[in-house]
Amino acid sequence: MAAPCNSMSIVGAEQKPRLGCNTSFQKKSRSKLVSIPGTRPSVQNGQLIVSTGVTSLDYVIGGGLAVGTLLLIEEDKYDSYSRMLLKYFLAEGVVCGHNLFIASARDHPEDILQELPAPILDDIASTRVEEGQTKLCDPEGQDSMKIAWRYQNLPKVQTALASSSRFGHYYDVSRTMDAEMRQTTKCNSFFLPDELPINSATEPSQMNEGYMALLRSIQAVIRREGFDGATPQYKSRNILRIGLHSLGSALWGDDICCKENPSNASSLTTFLYGLRALLRSSLSVGVVTVPSHLIQNRAIMGRVTKLCDTAIALESFKGLKGETNPLYKDYHGLLHVKQIPHLNCLVCEVPDTKDLAFKLKRKQFTIERLHLPPDLSDTVSRLNKPDLAESAKLLSPSCGSTATGKKHLDF
Amino acid sequence: MLLDIMQVTEGGGFVIIQDSVDCCGRQLLKSFINAALKREEIIHVLGFEVCEDELRAGLDSRGIQRLYFHDGFTDPLGWTECPALTVHQFTPQEISARLGHSEQPKSVMLVIDSLSWILRHHPPAVVCQRLQELRRGGALKSILALLHSDMHQQGIVGSVCHLATVVISVSPGTGAKHAVAKTTRRTKSGRVTREEEYFTVSEDLTVTIEAQTIHSGKAQAEPEEFEADPAANLTFNLRLSEVEREAKEKLSLPFVFSQEKKSALLHHRPGAGRILYEPDANDDFDQEDPDDDLNV
Repeated sequence: MAAPCNSMSIVGAEQKPRLGCNTSFQKKSRSKLVSIPGTRPSVQNGQLIVSTGVTSLDYVIGGGLAVGTLLLIEEDKYDSYSRMLLKYFLAEGVVCGHNLFIASARDHPEDILQELPAPILDDIASTRVEEGQTKLCDPEGQDSMKIAWRYQNLPKVQTALASSSRFGHYYDVSRTMDAEMRQTTKCNSFFLPDELPINSATEPSQMNEGYMALLRSIQAVIRREGFDGATPQYKSRNILRIGLHSLGSALWGDDICCKENPSNASSLTTFLYGLRALLRSSLSVGVVTVPSHLIQNRAIMGRVTKLCDTAIALESFKGLKGETNPLYKDYHGLLHVKQIPHLNCLVCEVPDTKDLAFKLKRKQFTIERLHLPPDLSDTVSRLNKPDLAESAKLLSPSCGSTATGKKHLDF
Repeated sequence: MLLDIMQVTEGGGFVIIQDSVDCCGRQLLKSFINAALKREEIIHVLGFEVCEDELRAGLDSRGIQRLYFHDGFTDPLGWTECPALTVHQFTPQEISARLGHSEQPKSVMLVIDSLSWILRHHPPAVVCQRLQELRRGGALKSILALLHSDMHQQGIVGSVCHLATVVISVSPGTGAKHAVAKTTRRTKSGRVTREEEYFTVSEDLTVTIEAQTIHSGKAQAEPEEFEADPAANLTFNLRLSEVEREAKEKLSLPFVFSQEKKSALLHHRPGAGRILYEPDANDDFDQEDPDDDLNV
């Protein structure tokens, strides 16, 4: 077995240098690449991608959002974390100097813009976090590892998600962005009550009036600012970030949230087809949040998901004090990745784990692998759920102290 | 929390009291109105379900002149010559015109009794838009609405409650007098609090909280269940005296090393031998079959 294999490889090694001289492969010259601030080509498929503003979310969805695609965020029940993700996305646009387009029917876009989180522009913060982690790790390992001490220098399971190279920025949720910084970006806003006077007379059409006006407005911005590739560019190109808040809610005049069989069921899907067509033919990227827990008909939600490229859903534990599993106590909610786009290839980038949870630390929003402490207690049984939870809770600070602390016997 | 909400409602609040046929929420609504009257607020009531006298009955007599009743009860659909208020007049323009009659720029509270009636005669999306418009207008300090949740589809109730800052759903309690209020409040910063309380509304419309929900108490009690001590009734001795314990601590077990030896074993010293291995081209290393190189 081994012998023919070896000879094969020797032949290959002999031929290699000769082939190398007259190969037709050439290294891609760097000058041909478009360089827009805040973008980079994807590692997987070479698509131009931008960051969502949350580094760990970028990692989960395969590097970032490809330009020309749409990200769907299914809102959590009280729309607090989905709104935060939208603000991160817009803040990243401000920091990178992209143009923004914000549409909302509930709060004025200006209000959303004022709540954008402040960027942490120097790299000190991230290194400080790492240092803190190693410091934390060391004394704990020295104290608790009595019998299995040989493992104490092994690296801990890394729950934080981050790609190797730095892309995107970190933000401090506790502070809002400076007004001067916000002024530097060009922002187009669309506030439904301003655009459409409320009148009860609605003529039946394929798409409801609010969506129609929104689509026209986006199209006008793309044409006017020259984001569509059709027009020749005389100046440097830029990216348009489109953030649409709470699409499909009753405030947009859509009744898919109210009825099982809505009168204009295809309204939102028609709009999304139009939006997709606009995005695909321009240098823009969109984020849509949809209150999916209110949408009565599952089929509509399925269609909406299919029409978006990337789809994630947030499930927050907010307001569920004592009703969630105690094992989730370190996290503020779960993140479900529903769909990852297949862009110019047959397979998509699959995340290595599906169990993802998010937490809002004092300053930043992160997505982590759901990682539970090992269950080592003697009394563990699968039937006794609270018991398991309690033991896990006790185990989490350190293994050694609890093992000695709660024992009845001295052996 | 119910009392907190009743006492202090910050500007722009939108409170919904959800009730069903099992438990009426109008008494609670009236006690909310009474509390606001005592705070010297101006109250406008869009009344569709009960007549003026019935609503005014029992309210604080000193503040009663600050309550303006817009009568939608006698003729809600405009069948007579001069209706006072019809359902179709539920538009932001119309309502702000009616509020303008009493032109005090003080804090004005709008009470809708009930939202169900309006939802029966308008598309739900339009009602949501108009409610949001009313809130945004700035003329109102707060909106208080009664909603009979069992009259509508779940989606409509969900959509309307999605707009609200506080949702109080009332359901019958265990006793005859008690009722349970499930309160969900979300602040502007995004914080959400939920609580379940037993309450009673007395004759003079004061609300008393009987007890916090048992739910939280049960969760507290659960972990403290008594665990039987296996070493309780034994014929031999399993306990250690102090002297014995000291002796036991002193004893060093085999393969338990001192701190120095451990660190010496764990850290690579410069003189120690290490295996350096660099795979070359002919190295066909297969993760799955470690015995690949054995010719068997």
